[in-house]
Amino acid sequence: MSPPRLTGALRSFSNVSKQEDPGGQVYDLKSKRLKRQELFARQGLTWQKVVQFCTQHRDKAQQQTTSQELKNVLAAARQIVGAEHGQETIESAAVFLFETFHNKDHVGTEETRAIKQMPMALLATSSVASLFGRNIAFSYDSYTLDPLDLPWEASLEDEVDLDF
Amino acid sequence: MACAIVPLDEQQVTEPSAVGKDRTLPALHPDRKEERCFVPYRPPPEDGSPAQVEEFLEHAKFITEDLEWLLALPHDKFWCQVVFDETLQKCLDSYLCHASRGLDPAGLPCSPAVADVQRCIHRAVFMTFLRMATHKESKENFLTPTVFGEIIYENFLFDIPKILDLCVLFGKGNTQLLHKMIGNIFTQQPGYYSDLDETVPSVLQVFDTILDKCGLQCEGAGAMEPLKLNANGRPTAMTMSQQDLVDLVLYLCDSTTTIHAFLDIYPPACSTFQSHGFLSRLGSFYESAVPDMEKAVRKRNFTDKGLKEDLWKRMCHSCKRMVEVAHLLLQQSCLQPILEGGENIQTFAEELLQHFTSFLPEKRFLSDYDEQFPIAEDISLLQQALPLIDETRTSYLLQGVQSAWDSVGRRRPQGHLQSK
Repeated sequence: MSPPRLTGALRSFSNVSKQEDPGGQVYDLKSKRLKRQELFARQGLTWQKVVQFCTQHRDKAQQQTTSQELKNVLAAARQIVGAEHGQETIESAAVFLFETFHNKDHVGTEETRAIKQMPMALLATSSVASLFGRNIAFSYDSYTLDPLDLPWEASLEDEVDLDF
Repeated sequence: MACAIVPLDEQQVTEPSAVGKDRTLPALHPDRKEERCFVPYRPPPEDGSPAQVEEFLEHAKFITEDLEWLLALPHDKFWCQVVFDETLQKCLDSYLCHASRGLDPAGLPCSPAVADVQRCIHRAVFMTFLRMATHKESKENFLTPTVFGEIIYENFLFDIPKILDLCVLFGKGNTQLLHKMIGNIFTQQPGYYSDLDETVPSVLQVFDTILDKCGLQCEGAGAMEPLKLNANGRPTAMTMSQQDLVDLVLYLCDSTTTIHAFLDIYPPACSTFQSHGFLSRLGSFYESAVPDMEKAVRKRNFTDKGLKEDLWKRMCHSCKRMVEVAHLLLQQSCLQPILEGGENIQTFAEELLQHFTSFLPEKRFLSDYDEQFPIAEDISLLQQALPLIDETRTSYLLQGVQSAWDSVGRRRPQGHLQSK
């Protein structure tokens, strides 16, 4: 439980905050999981879906090899788009590679051209969805208690207190 | 996406409707909100089982993912979401209410994974509030300032408790950003000044509550009422339960830190506090409550020695913050205008002397104030700004300060100017 707070008292006793709507829906973990699955299903192919599919449909013996191969695809994507781009862009590139080489047994001119054109297309997409505040310097500092000498260790014994 | 150069609140967009036909609607419209379903924030479990920690991590990951999704939305979609998605507002509000402040009693150390996800949420919540406090994101993406003021106020995107929470949670290292945010909020929506004016009596009520819990007569409402017949049998800081004393010290510590953080980050709010006589109420509260609470912490037996130390640190921290609040109020209302010169300098000087004179009976408060902000230095400033200032009055004041030090049985630190 949170310790007693000034703002807690102000929310309860002043008239300047929104009154809680007791009927308003609050999502718990279970309903959120369901909602997320719906969203997940509606999105196109994502790197997360590729990873999930490949790991779920392999037996334990094959999982390590699969995991290594997926890592290789991700590393190749990072090399192509450049490590300076965010994880989101790199994962999109990995999905692109996955789709490009799905059911292919060799690298032809078509695939080479597609890869050459890939970075521009991905960078254009990622710049649209850039995260607000990415370039803002943010500090995690917080107010803390100052270190202090404790008075009773030095002077409590000497103190004369006439407390009737 | 909505068209550019026109403010968002005047834009229209054409989108396919549910039945497949195109329809035109305002860019800010509830139908344009996504059903994202934000979950409210819950603090990490204290001493939780691995399963509880795992559940916390999943819960926290949903919040970071959702907030990062929100921050990546284009301007129009972002505002549709913040205005019309109640689950988002509940999520943000729950973080402000329940997120641990740096001052909260330290729990058990958390795992690196928990610490990591907490940091992600902390940053994402701040960035969300920062974006909500910005009416002009770029040349193309902006809201009409007055409409922005109405939106944030009418939808309670910001309110006074939220602003105070933001200051105490993020203020330590993000003062300038918060100053700009709060400045913009108050400028575009002056209704927040009225709300602040309405809130200050509740802040003062917190002081009265603490005095009341300590069984002390308070100068505000309590002084006007006859003493209850059983008042003598009421618990005091020495006799109340240990848990009550702990809660009281924590409450004082949180309240003083929050008020200080807010006024320090946004000094223009000082005048609203002052219009309620905050300074004199603060001085008399300090004088009544601090000695009793300190004595209780020093003299009472605590089974846990660490708790006693923690409470003592919190008392010292609270005292320091209260003195700093007093200085901020004086700085804004009198000292700064005196330093800037101008026509009414005599009035400000008179006001400052009146404040100092009103501190004279509050000997403990006066000596603690003088220790951090030597009054003799301010008097010297007054004498430079107004050479004709009444010397009898300033001497009387400085003697009063010395007498306050003597009566609390403490010696003034070396280097303080001595009274003339």
